[in-house]
Amino acid sequence: MIEIIGLHKRLGGRPVLQGVDLDVREGETLAIMGPSGTGKSVLLKHIVGLFDPDAGDIVVDGISVPTADRDGIAAVRTKIAYVFQNSALFDSMTVRGNLLMGLPPGYCRGRMPECEELALTALRHVNLEPEVLSLVPAELSGGMQRRVAIARAIIGKRRYVLYDEPTTGLDPVNATRINRLIAHVSREVDATSIVVTHDVESAFFLADRIVLLSEGVIQAEGTPEELRVTDHAAVRDFLDAAPGTRVA
Amino acid sequence: MSLADAFAAPGRSARAAALHAGRMGILGWATFRSLARPRAYALDTVGYAKQIGFDSLALVLLMGALSGAVMAQQTMYQLSAGLPREIVAGGVVGGMLTELGPVLTAVVLAGRVGAGIGAELGTMKVTNQIDALLTMGRDPVLELVVPRVVAGTLILVPLVMLANAMGVFSGYVTSVVILGLTSGEYVDGAKGYYHHGALIFSLVKAAAYGFAITFVACYVGLRASGGAAGVGRTATRAVVAIIVSIMVLDTVLGPVYKALT
Repeated sequence: MIEIIGLHKRLGGRPVLQGVDLDVREGETLAIMGPSGTGKSVLLKHIVGLFDPDAGDIVVDGISVPTADRDGIAAVRTKIAYVFQNSALFDSMTVRGNLLMGLPPGYCRGRMPECEELALTALRHVNLEPEVLSLVPAELSGGMQRRVAIARAIIGKRRYVLYDEPTTGLDPVNATRINRLIAHVSREVDATSIVVTHDVESAFFLADRIVLLSEGVIQAEGTPEELRVTDHAAVRDFLDAAPGTRVA
Repeated sequence: MSLADAFAAPGRSARAAALHAGRMGILGWATFRSLARPRAYALDTVGYAKQIGFDSLALVLLMGALSGAVMAQQTMYQLSAGLPREIVAGGVVGGMLTELGPVLTAVVLAGRVGAGIGAELGTMKVTNQIDALLTMGRDPVLELVVPRVVAGTLILVPLVMLANAMGVFSGYVTSVVILGLTSGEYVDGAKGYYHHGALIFSLVKAAAYGFAITFVACYVGLRASGGAAGVGRTATRAVVAIIVSIMVLDTVLGPVYKALT
């Protein structure tokens, strides 16, 4: 379980997170929705220890991330896979190399055939052909890069998968494909997923539960059905303002 | 500008310099600590050493040849009448081993290797690849910095030796073909000047410069920000910082050499 308790963070002198409290339940897909620049990605990066909070705590399976030592942070990171907004594939490596980086360091030493099989399985999950294994990221389309990034996140069968704006920059066809893929892999690998997005359609399609982050705090929380009918002002404002919203 | 502003600017610069020194110290310590795990970086180190060595070899040899030729000519032109012409060879050998060979090789590699490392790591930083490494439980210092720094430190030694040899040889050709020295005068002059201390000093300088080029480039690259434009600025910053480091090291190492010989 992931618990976020009273999280505060200022960046460049500007308050970004101003007391975020949030629990992520085992096995659920949680969407963190909100306008751009409200600290959704910052919140996600706190969970893996890429940011230190100014105040508050993040607890992952009983380990407090801000106060964890080197081994503690390593233990947290072995449980979490992170899909970055721009895929963040290693551009000097082939797809094979990128996928194997998703496994624990040293895992493939002496067991390359098993690792190769894991890479192929991960590729199958994201509907990519084995031929892409030998390509480098620059030879892939944006949508394919995003799928490889998801494959890299799930290859290690980590307990939590964090998606940072997984559909940003993709055309509607690819965005829908990625949404379906996330839903599919969340079921297949039985992971707890957190999806940060400003895309209302993605949030409503993927999530078991949605929270709206705005002005540095969680403004509202509920199932997609609850949020569809809520008269909470912040939620209505966000849903009404979201371009192309077909779910509200 | 007020008096307060006049004092504030140097204060800010001093603070920034202290911050950089502190951060470089932290990166240096992390790099040093990771050296104890050679299995984790040996393979990448060999790859980078090959890349740095082969990519730079032609340029290093060319620079060595040109500097040997220039050194021979300049020494000859400075000679007063009556002084033995063997001094030309002494000037070439001494100049190449203690100064031109290591420094010019390092400056060439600052542009070629330093800018490349700065831009590569800078791109990785601004495209979240460094963060991706961290989230995968990998150590960017062990995976990215250590192999480059070890490769740079090791490979500069043979490169500088080749530059030195090329410089001495081109000094010979220039002296004999253009300046009218006999072969015997050049060889006698070279033998007369040469001593092991100069060669060892050259090797030490090479390793120190190799470390400085790769370490400073990694440090600057890992601090990149601001997208594509930021990567461009990072590459420029890396080259400037490396050349300043080389000159500082050169200034410091000179007296050390003098004291030891």
